[in-house]
This record gives sequence, structure tokens and C-alpha cells, in this order.
Amino acid sequence: MNTFLVSARHEMLNTRRARTAHILLIVFIGMVIASSVIGWVTNQTVTGVYNKVVADGLTTAPNPFAGVSPLYYARNAVIYVLLIGSLMAIVLGVQATLRDRKASTVDLVLSRPVATPARLLGQLAGLAVVLAAVIAISFSVSWLIISIINGAPLGWDDTGRVIAFGSLSWVLLTAFALLGMLTGLRSKQETTALLVPFVIWSAVAFVLPQIGTAARPVALLNPVPAVASTGGYFDVVSAFTGPLSLTEQFKRASSMILQDPNVTGEATSSILILLAFLVVMTVVVVVTPRNRMRSGLNE
Amino acid sequence: MTKSAIATDNLSKSYGSTLALDALSLEVAAGEVFGLLGHNGAGKTTTVNVLTTLLEPTQGDAEVAGHSVIADARAVRGAIGYLPENVQFYDNLTLIENLRFFAELSGLRRPDQRIRDVLRILDFEGRDRQRLGTFSKGMRQRVGIAQAILHAPSVLFLDEPTSGLDPEGVRTLRETIVRLNSEFGMTIFMNTHLLSEVTKTCTSIGILRGGTLVHHDTLAKTLADFPGEDSLEEIYFQLESEPVS
Repeated sequence: MNTFLVSARHEMLNTRRARTAHILLIVFIGMVIASSVIGWVTNQTVTGVYNKVVADGLTTAPNPFAGVSPLYYARNAVIYVLLIGSLMAIVLGVQATLRDRKASTVDLVLSRPVATPARLLGQLAGLAVVLAAVIAISFSVSWLIISIINGAPLGWDDTGRVIAFGSLSWVLLTAFALLGMLTGLRSKQETTALLVPFVIWSAVAFVLPQIGTAARPVALLNPVPAVASTGGYFDVVSAFTGPLSLTEQFKRASSMILQDPNVTGEATSSILILLAFLVVMTVVVVVTPRNRMRSGLNE
Repeated sequence: MTKSAIATDNLSKSYGSTLALDALSLEVAAGEVFGLLGHNGAGKTTTVNVLTTLLEPTQGDAEVAGHSVIADARAVRGAIGYLPENVQFYDNLTLIENLRFFAELSGLRRPDQRIRDVLRILDFEGRDRQRLGTFSKGMRQRVGIAQAILHAPSVLFLDEPTSGLDPEGVRTLRETIVRLNSEFGMTIFMNTHLLSEVTKTCTSIGILRGGTLVHHDTLAKTLADFPGEDSLEEIYFQLESEPVS
């Protein structure tokens, strides 16, 4: 078996045995299930109020949930992927590369006829499979719950959209796992290996979207920025910060996939930006030199 | 260079401005058990790290099992086994899972039979499903030997193999080293502080001081050259204190 496959299998085994991974998996699945339940409760509550208002003769407007896609129930999952999923992926990524440095097992690995790119790609593949499994389990449960709430199994089109949303989530989480792997390889201390990707994630998830929004003040009032372009300086700042706001790109593309009526446009550019980030991170991790891999920790 | 198991030619290694290994020229014949002695910081671990290709030399070259550590590092890695000082493993995994990983990384296609053979050699039968986290220091050191010999290397590098072991662990490890050399013909290159172990296991020795090799000869000749001294310890301290020629 070659280095890539051996490393991938080893990574899966190590992650499966790690308690942290179990806890994060349980939390993530729990949140995705909660997302469906919250969507269903919201629907029930609003519909209940609507029925009462209609019965009192106060409105003749249609039920706001009439004609809404059943995928609406999974909408909150977008936020849980961004918050819990990304952090889980970062922790798994840091553990993957830091494990060998902490225990000095890296010397045992590198004293063998191993190509370091194959070793790192193998570890990444192992993590990617673990993340795919987590997403597959979570979204299968989500599909099941939505089907139960809906009173019938989701159709092929909606099922395809759930799969597309899961695939996009996998791209985002794998990219964050790579960020964790990178800091696990490069940091001099275990604490910084965890802190640095969390800071970057915070910036990407919270700071950059804020800059983008603040730079387009009309967008704060209007959810469809293209309709109310402010032009000039705001457009320039937004053009730079927009692609870097990976989480915003993910939210936008996911919302379109899940047929959120509040978001319009096309998802291709957002998906391409996420894929580009994944490719760049892969290259940056894979070119790590041998000496860097075996550098000790200052603690 | 010769066809020795290990041959170094003017091998040097610097860390920044610190010269850790200074123009080391040394030959270890195939089938020998070579002990490299020296105080802490003398350059022993650096020597092993360069010979195992974990570090690149700053100057010079070395051949291990007939391959250059610079030009053909991958072939060197395929021909050697290595036990680092204070060896660590994946504690969440069992003994057999750890060994299977290292065997497969070494290129063994169906390693399970070989792993069973090695476990028998090192008296680990019945423990293969235990997690490494439950093993004692002495047992872990023997697992370290096991992972190093899985692919039947021709040269085995041991960095302070008896470090931190109790007397029984030291004895067991010594018997293993002797057996690997006599039964399987492995050339063994060993860094150690325990001079009593050197006397019992090594056929030749070298002494490093400040990165410079100040002595290299067979153990028998070294002992014969100092007839007035009672032990290798006395000889070691005498050689260690002599000015470098």
C-alpha cells in the first residue's frame, strides 16, 4: 500500500479513536437535528398565529409558509455548519499534524521511504473522509426529520439539493481542516496552533462580512444589494472583501441551493471562490518541507 | 568510499553558527555493533539524524547500506531501521495497529505475518490488541525495536536505546540487540551513555567530543591499548580529556 493510502487510513483510525472528535460529531449532529426541529416549530407557531388571525377576520393574506420549500427547515443548518462545523474541522486539522510533532512520531515516519507530499495529502484525504462521513450522517438525519415533518419523503429535486448543500459544506469544512493542518505544521506552540486558525476563522466569519456590509450601507437596509448599488468607494471595498468573506460566500450559495426566497442571483461564483480557497490551502499545506514537519514545539 | 555498512566522509552539520558535527570520517563494517560514545551535546544524536536522513549535512557526505544520504536519501530510508531516544507512538492505537502503520509505510504489502514474526522475536505475543498507552517504558522501547526491524533493515540505528529503562529492561534490550546482530546479521549503530552495555554488546566504538571524533577502533583493540586501565569507563574518561590531535 502506498504512503497516501496508508496515511489516509491511519488518519481515519486516529480520528475515530480521539475523544474530541466524538464530542464534536455529537454536537454537530445534534445541532443539525435541532435546526430542522427549530424550522418546524417556527412553521407551526407562525401558522398557528396566522390561522387565529384569519379566524378573527383580521387578514385575507395568504399563509406566509404556503409554497415555501420544505428545505426551509434545514436553513438554520447553514449557520451550524459555519459555526460548529468549521471549528470542528479546524480542531481535527490541527490534531492531524500536531499529533506527530507532539509525540515525535514524525521522526519514525520520516525515517521511512515516504514522500512528504504523499504523507500530507494522505492525512488530508483521511480527514476529508471523516468530514464527509460526519456530514453524510448529519444531513441524512436532517433529511429524515424534514420528511417526517413534511409528511412524505423529500422528492428527488429536494434530495439533490440536500446533497448539494452537504457537498458545499464538505468543501468549506475541508478547507478549514486544511487551515488547521497548516497551523499544526507551522506553529511553535500547541496553543498558537489552535488560536491562530480560530482568529482567522473569526475574521472570515465575522469581521470581513461586517466590513463588506458597512462599506455598502444601503445593503444594510436592502437584502438585495444589486438593486441598490451605491457605487464608487463602497463597491471597491466590497469587491476586495467579498471574495475573502468565505463564510458569506458559503451562506449565499447554500441559501440559493436551499431555495431561500430572500436570496437571489446565481451561486456559481460563490462556489468557485470556495473551491479556489480549498485548492490554494491544499497546495500551501502539501509543499511543507520535511524540516518544518519535524520541528519541535516550544513547550 | 568503501562498501562498508556505514561510511562518512568529512561529514559536518551546523545549526546556525553552532558546529554540531565537525568533519566526521568514519567507517562501520557490515555486521558490526558500533557504539558511539560522548557527553551530552557531543554530536551523537546529530550524527544519527544525518545518517538516517532526518537532517541534511552542511558539508560532506555519507553512505549507508551503499546509498548516499544526500543523493539517494529515499533508498537509505528503505534500508535502515531507526529507534529514536524516548520513542513515542500513537497511544490511542493498539500494538498491532501501530506496527501495521509503520510496516506499510516501509512498503510491506502484507505485513501481518511479518508483524507476528517480530512480535514473537520480541516476546510480545498475546499483547497485539492492547493500546500502546498502557505499555511500560521498557515495553515501549521494545516496541520501538519492533517497528525498526519490521522491514528487515540491513542497518539499525539506536539512539540511547536504554535511556530510562530499569535493570531488567536494560538486560532484555541488550539481549535483543545481540540477537538481532548475531541471528539476523544486522549492522547496529548505537548511541549510548551506558559504558557497561557497550562492553557487553559492541564490537567497535567511537568517541565524539564537541562534534569531533577523537577515537575509533574495535572494542578489543581499545581495551588492549590501555592495559593499565580497569574498565572502559576509565579509558573513556582518559580519551575524552586528551587534547584533539
